[in-house]
Amino acid sequence: MLQAIDLRKRYDEVQALDGFSLEVAAGEIVGLVGHNGAGKTTFVEMVSGLLRPDSGTVLVDGESPTRARDRIGISPQHIALYRPLTVREHLELYGRLAGLRRAALRSAIDDLTAALRLESFLNRTCGLLSGGQQRRAQAATALVHRPALLLLDEPTAGADPETRQALLDVVKQRAGEGAAVVYTTHYLTELTDLQATIAVAAEGRVIARGGADELLSGLPGEVRVRTADEQLTVSTTDPTGTLLELLPTVERPVESVELRNPSLDDLYHSLAVTTDVDAH
Amino acid sequence: MSTRTDSLSRAGALVRYNAILRLRDPSQLISYLITPMIFMVLFQPLYVKALGTGAVEAVTGQLVMFSVFAMAIVGNAIFVEREWRTWDRLRASRAARAELLIGKAVPVFVVLLIQQGVLIIYGWLVVGMPFPVSPGLVFGAMCLWGFMLLAMGAALSTVVRSRGDLIVAVDLGAITISSLGGSLLPVSLMPSWAQAIAPFSPGYWGLSLIRSAMAGNAEAMLRPGLIVLGIGLATGAFATYRLAHGWGRSHLL
Repeated sequence: MLQAIDLRKRYDEVQALDGFSLEVAAGEIVGLVGHNGAGKTTFVEMVSGLLRPDSGTVLVDGESPTRARDRIGISPQHIALYRPLTVREHLELYGRLAGLRRAALRSAIDDLTAALRLESFLNRTCGLLSGGQQRRAQAATALVHRPALLLLDEPTAGADPETRQALLDVVKQRAGEGAAVVYTTHYLTELTDLQATIAVAAEGRVIARGGADELLSGLPGEVRVRTADEQLTVSTTDPTGTLLELLPTVERPVESVELRNPSLDDLYHSLAVTTDVDAH
Repeated sequence: MSTRTDSLSRAGALVRYNAILRLRDPSQLISYLITPMIFMVLFQPLYVKALGTGAVEAVTGQLVMFSVFAMAIVGNAIFVEREWRTWDRLRASRAARAELLIGKAVPVFVVLLIQQGVLIIYGWLVVGMPFPVSPGLVFGAMCLWGFMLLAMGAALSTVVRSRGDLIVAVDLGAITISSLGGSLLPVSLMPSWAQAIAPFSPGYWGLSLIRSAMAGNAEAMLRPGLIVLGIGLATGAFATYRLAHGWGRSHLL
């Protein structure tokens, strides 16, 4: 559904994208992670047709993003809502722009209202909504026309747990129905919930891509063994095996044992550290 | 649905929701209607003493001045798209650039026409201005002048950095354009240096256009009409370019 090949983009002195390539299949959720300035938002803006690459190719469903706009739904990183308009009016506007009319539009709004739990503030103006409600309203504008490609740029930034869960549920549902999803986030646990494959961006390109298990293999977890007067902490790629080796060597009675397998946070930090070291 | 019907439908949706936005923030329009109504009544006796006539000068002078002030309505309508980051969101939708521009321009253009129309009717009913010889010519003049204000206001909103800058630019611009153009004081009574530079003010041509239309003199409308149209086309082209390319990082396209 989405093919981005060797994208490059420079803003004055900054090389925002430097050979960024990513493919997303229909029904796939790709979690795009990376620290600030890695090129995630530039990539999303390019796929949505707002930016042209200096070089490289973006194809959405085999066409340029500008031609495929009716098949793209975007929720930008920043809140982009008209404060005097209600949530319903936003959904009507973006639904109409996408070609939905009358019964189809009403039905789409009703479905989203239930799925994203918008009932209590559907007819309130967006300027009066809480941050979490605005996040849900904004996501709804991206989803209203059931796009084949969803671009969600940090859709849960600053959102409360209810908003986050509602959004994750809808994203999973849409992917289950065949939508391709690009989901950028700093909340890596969300990607586990979404069962997303992961693309790690750094310095304007994707430096790692794969399933969570694949990317996490080789990263160290931790073993913690606490006795009455000390705590042993060992960083290891094989927490279970290390624990079995460690226990016979402990002379005092063991009070507690904690095993922590490598997580996406470890992956994120290890790549961030690698990038920092490279930069210096 | 055909492509043309589709396009009309999207432009219609944009016009509708932009009109709702204008209706929910009517304070500027109200201010730019009531203030000139008060000034018309106060200025009329001055014009009578100075020129022997009064009502037409008082009405058209205030109309031109406060319609220039109304560029703030145009500027605000566009500036909020920057402030709320909604313009790029719209650009990422299926709507074409022309549809987005029509959706934005039509409601504010109608607001500008309503302002001028109400002030002319008030001038006729309350201030005692004679009813226009040819309402069609007056409507044509209003459209030309409104188009120029729309284009200038749009261009201005794409270059200012903040809402504060916009307000200052419109206030200074409106005072300069309209007073130099003869809205406050007839050009014939201004100092000679001011008379010499008056034709460089769009307000001078706007006033000339509207007063010629009021008199039903189509021939006299031609030159000011073409100049007003030219300024509108030039500033409109600039605004269209800036709006079509968006703001933020995308302006570096």
